[in-house]
Amino acid sequence: MAQVALRGVNKSFGNIDVIRNVDLQIDDGEFVVFVGPSGCGKSTLLRLIAGLEQLTSGEILIADRPIMDLPPSKRGIAMVFQSYALYPHMTVFNNMAFSLDLQGVSKADIHQRVEAAAKILQMEHLLDRRPAALSGGQRQRVAIGRAIVRNPDVFLFDEPLSNLDAALRHDTRVEISKLHNQLGATTIYVTHDQVEAMTLADKIVVLKDGEVMQVGAPMELFNFPANEFVAGFLGSPKMNFFEGILTAGAGSDTGQFEGEGLSASGVRLVARDKGNGASVKLGIRPQHLTPDPHGPLKGTATLVENLGTETVVELVTESQVSFRLASPESLDIATGQTVRFSIDSAKAHLF
Amino acid sequence: MTRTFKHVVLALIVFIWVLPFVALVTTSVRSETASKTSGFWTAFTPTELGHRFSTHDKGKTEPFVTMSGNIFERLNQGRDSFEIEGTVNSILFKGRVPDPDKPDKTKLIRQLINAGEPMDVRGGEFVFHPSGDFTWTFPEATAPKPKNLDTFINQNPVFGPDAYIEVLFENKNVPNALISSFIVTIPATIIPITIAAFAAYAFAWMRFPGRDWLFVIVVSLMVVPTQLAFLPVLQGFSGIASWATSLNAWMTDCEATKTCQVASKSFASLWVTHTAFGLPLAIYLLRNYIVGLPKELLESARIDGASHLQIFTRLIIPLSVPALASFSIFQFLWVWNDLIVALYIGPANSADLVFPIRLQKQLGTFKDQLHLLNASAVISIIVPVIVFLSMQRYFIRGLLAGSVKGG
Repeated sequence: MAQVALRGVNKSFGNIDVIRNVDLQIDDGEFVVFVGPSGCGKSTLLRLIAGLEQLTSGEILIADRPIMDLPPSKRGIAMVFQSYALYPHMTVFNNMAFSLDLQGVSKADIHQRVEAAAKILQMEHLLDRRPAALSGGQRQRVAIGRAIVRNPDVFLFDEPLSNLDAALRHDTRVEISKLHNQLGATTIYVTHDQVEAMTLADKIVVLKDGEVMQVGAPMELFNFPANEFVAGFLGSPKMNFFEGILTAGAGSDTGQFEGEGLSASGVRLVARDKGNGASVKLGIRPQHLTPDPHGPLKGTATLVENLGTETVVELVTESQVSFRLASPESLDIATGQTVRFSIDSAKAHLF
Repeated sequence: MTRTFKHVVLALIVFIWVLPFVALVTTSVRSETASKTSGFWTAFTPTELGHRFSTHDKGKTEPFVTMSGNIFERLNQGRDSFEIEGTVNSILFKGRVPDPDKPDKTKLIRQLINAGEPMDVRGGEFVFHPSGDFTWTFPEATAPKPKNLDTFINQNPVFGPDAYIEVLFENKNVPNALISSFIVTIPATIIPITIAAFAAYAFAWMRFPGRDWLFVIVVSLMVVPTQLAFLPVLQGFSGIASWATSLNAWMTDCEATKTCQVASKSFASLWVTHTAFGLPLAIYLLRNYIVGLPKELLESARIDGASHLQIFTRLIIPLSVPALASFSIFQFLWVWNDLIVALYIGPANSADLVFPIRLQKQLGTFKDQLHLLNASAVISIIVPVIVFLSMQRYFIRGLLAGSVKGG
């Protein structure tokens, strides 16, 4: 059983704290995605688990075994790098066999295991080629194959898809998902792409400035973000925020909001520490605005984007607060037109 | 316009650069006389030169009316190389003819006779053709003495490997120098590059305290000129040699044969010196190359369980081949062409002299035999050229292709 536990993990480079006090429990067989903007420390966290960086303080356990003092190769992990990191002077076969060869596995076993991995990835015909003769997607597959061959407890993926083009990225994402179901190994996957996070993860870990913002299942994070950052980070287009005052409900589950011409009650109150009369932000996703000629929210359209499946309208309120509307229908809104909206209080959040 | 200008300038530079080599090679394949009497640039076009030939061998007294022969055949008798070929322009006739002023006297005349014109030689009519064929006709059978005639021949260019054969096979100096140079150069190239590769990897990818300072010190050692260090280096070697001599005397029974002396100037001292002075540059170059290899490759290897030594031998060395090859060439050239270090620190006995010293000595002994001197020089140039060309295939572009994105 290969559960991974991080306890009070800290990492600093010189004076800069890159990872701050991260506690995390990853269950066996779980697909965990670390997501966050660039520089949030997600890759560093992965490298700490891999053993490519040394902890400043804290504990990491894989299968209940502290691994801080073990070299990367003894931790039971395999890593797939963003840049593939294939050995350019070796054939695909030798790339995949390298780790087994170093372990002193017999030639026959190496053959068997490499071929088994190649079969899983459907790349038996590529084994004799060198990386230079492969396409980007094939290289990424070799990198994954190299990880599979080691038969690790934990797979680590460091932004494995960010070098692929959009179509290939989708296919590979599906493949990784299938592969995880097939192998059932614990997987930690780092990405800055929230779509990858939402689609792949059993559990998402949102990071910002080296701190864990929220941990949970994708839809839990989407529907019940723990703070403004998570709310803004997940979902596309971004969530709209309106500033205003908490008029009632301080300390309870729901609150009442006044501001920007809006008045909403029974809104999910995230910022429970705020008292009545404190300034708060109302967050509502662009998808949850409904055009309504009598609605309280008024905005002037500045840009209309028709994406085919969706129409996104950029608007600005009278007090110059910009917000967005996203609708699955094609809307009859022109730039410069003033539109009124009503909001669904049940889908809004107060931060 | 500017493009033509660039091409002209480029052509000019190439010309200037190549000219000395062409001169060397040309002179080395000319005959001794030719190399002494005219510049190498005249070697490619026909040149008019004077030669003396005699009509027939002494003692050939069979009377004849008409004798026919060939000037070139006569000239090339006994020559086995640089045979004279071309066209005979004229003959400078020197001889006594009846004096028209004084009927019973003769006078000495010098007259230039062109091909086809008859002339009177010992009472016979002598006619020659540009091809060298001549006829000598007498009114009745006669057996004249041979006559020496001076011809002006428009001579075709002629080249031969004689100088090389002489230099390489007629005495052992040049072959010995070649062997000595190889004995010095090969270890003096391989030893520093091996040490430097290890050091470069450590400087690039291993974490140890003081690494950067140590690297700065190593690099700054590049500014120390070898010449500056001759004295201390020599003192060091003679110290080691006298210690080794005593050790030899103590350990073996060399005193009986008086062979205890260990030379302080030897091939080994050259290896050590060239290694020491070649290392800073080698470490610097290789470290800069190796540090540029993608970090992920090494990390991937670490995850795959490779130790530093395994990373070094199985990743770094194969991927650094271009850098290793270019430094090998540098070091090989520098050691091969080195005169001064070999002169001060290398073995001094004649059989062990390296090529540059041998060349320098030939400047004295062969100063009149340019063709030999140049042949030796060409031999010494050829070796690095061969080394360079054979290393050429290791300058592989895109060695890292396919390893990382963009690589």
